[in-house]
Amino acid sequence: MGFAMRMNFVDVVVSDSLKHYYVDGKKMGYQFDIRLSYYRGQFLSAIDQFGVKVDGFDVPAERIRFCINGKEFGAAELDKCYSEFWQAIEPATIKVIYPGSLPSGEHRIDVTLFLRAPYMPIGPDHQYMPIDSCGSKMMNIID
Amino acid sequence: MANVKVGISLFSLGTPYLKGQLDLEGVIKTAAEIGAEGYEIVATQMIPSYPFVSDEFVSFVNECKKKYGIGPICYSANMDRGLLKDRDLTMDEMLARAITDVVSANKLGCTVMREQYLLSPAGLERLVPYAEAYNVRVGIEIHNPETPITPAILDYVDVIEKTGSKYIGFVPDFGCFATKPNKPYWDRALAGGATVEQLERCAQLRYDDVPMEEAMKIMEAEIEKCPALIAALNSMYGFVQFRKNCKKELEGLKRIMPYCFEMHGKCHYVDENLHEASIPYEEIIPVIAQSGYDGFIVTEYEDEGGYDAIEQTRRHVAMVKKLLNQSI
Repeated sequence: MGFAMRMNFVDVVVSDSLKHYYVDGKKMGYQFDIRLSYYRGQFLSAIDQFGVKVDGFDVPAERIRFCINGKEFGAAELDKCYSEFWQAIEPATIKVIYPGSLPSGEHRIDVTLFLRAPYMPIGPDHQYMPIDSCGSKMMNIID
Repeated sequence: MANVKVGISLFSLGTPYLKGQLDLEGVIKTAAEIGAEGYEIVATQMIPSYPFVSDEFVSFVNECKKKYGIGPICYSANMDRGLLKDRDLTMDEMLARAITDVVSANKLGCTVMREQYLLSPAGLERLVPYAEAYNVRVGIEIHNPETPITPAILDYVDVIEKTGSKYIGFVPDFGCFATKPNKPYWDRALAGGATVEQLERCAQLRYDDVPMEEAMKIMEAEIEKCPALIAALNSMYGFVQFRKNCKKELEGLKRIMPYCFEMHGKCHYVDENLHEASIPYEEIIPVIAQSGYDGFIVTEYEDEGGYDAIEQTRRHVAMVKKLLNQSI
């Protein structure tokens, strides 16, 4: 990714949001919240690149669930979500299916998130201004 | 005689809103306290049920109007042509989006809607029956680097005059009349190590209409010494470009004034003496005051410099009111 516009108002990875999540009474994985680093909301189809690293390791895309508006999408589905709008002030919850979840203690979350400004063309052939909405944070995992 | 009202685009208070220092009600309340007689709302930024307007949101807006005395006067739409991953939206698809926005604007009680230039003149023409049916006047924003006399804008004039519809027109943004370099970009370059002398050389190249590639070449050695100059020079040829004077552009504004539904009072920095650093309001406001314009000038503070958004918006509203009073 070359130049990308950065418009940052709040941390992308929301503080104190890392926690285990439970299904059938068992730890099914972990989750945390992210905010858009932009001045307006975006349809999910405007996401060009999305990935998560935990403690330096890439999380397989198929284990990542992107939760918004009371719905849950796989990472591979985001570019088809052209009617699903992510509000500028609403966090999205990222769930990672990882039975047993992470060990207690501190973990480093790195989110790669690039979008395009879909009203701001910068050249022919579907080129739009790239937006950098990446973020990182060390967090204690909570129950 | 003009009948000019002063409003605020809630976008001006975007920074405290996004940081969670003000919720939407707080933003509306602040706009009222600053002296707005109405507000514009950027739908993708602040409407929680976007791209639709929910009944709940209408109730909220009406409740705020009761409490603070002001309501929405312009629905600000985005034309997200690049919404899909692999291709641009077709004209049919863009028209569908624009109709959705017209429906939303009407539901919110707005009779004016800002549309963006990615909806082509032909697309705007196709929107006419829906704009008329829903009583929403759709204005294409004239945003720097476009001005009232650039070819892209004149193409819209053709369509407006050909259709004769009172429901399609313009929302000029005063940023297109800039005559001085943008202060936040200038200051950022200074903070990045550029000297005033270097920046003045860049500005002179812009004033002399030296093409950008050539200007980059002329400044190449300086840019090597100080990379912060690139962003400054880029900005001078981008969305905050400027020229020696804006007389021709203001003549162009006079010509299209009958087609203007709202004005964006762009500002990047208003000083304590109520003077905008790069946009010559002292020349622009009299043109509007002496026209037959009946509508809002809406403050649009663009937070590039990290100044206090509320204070900047307050100063801008005071400046516009002062200049309007002087122009009567």
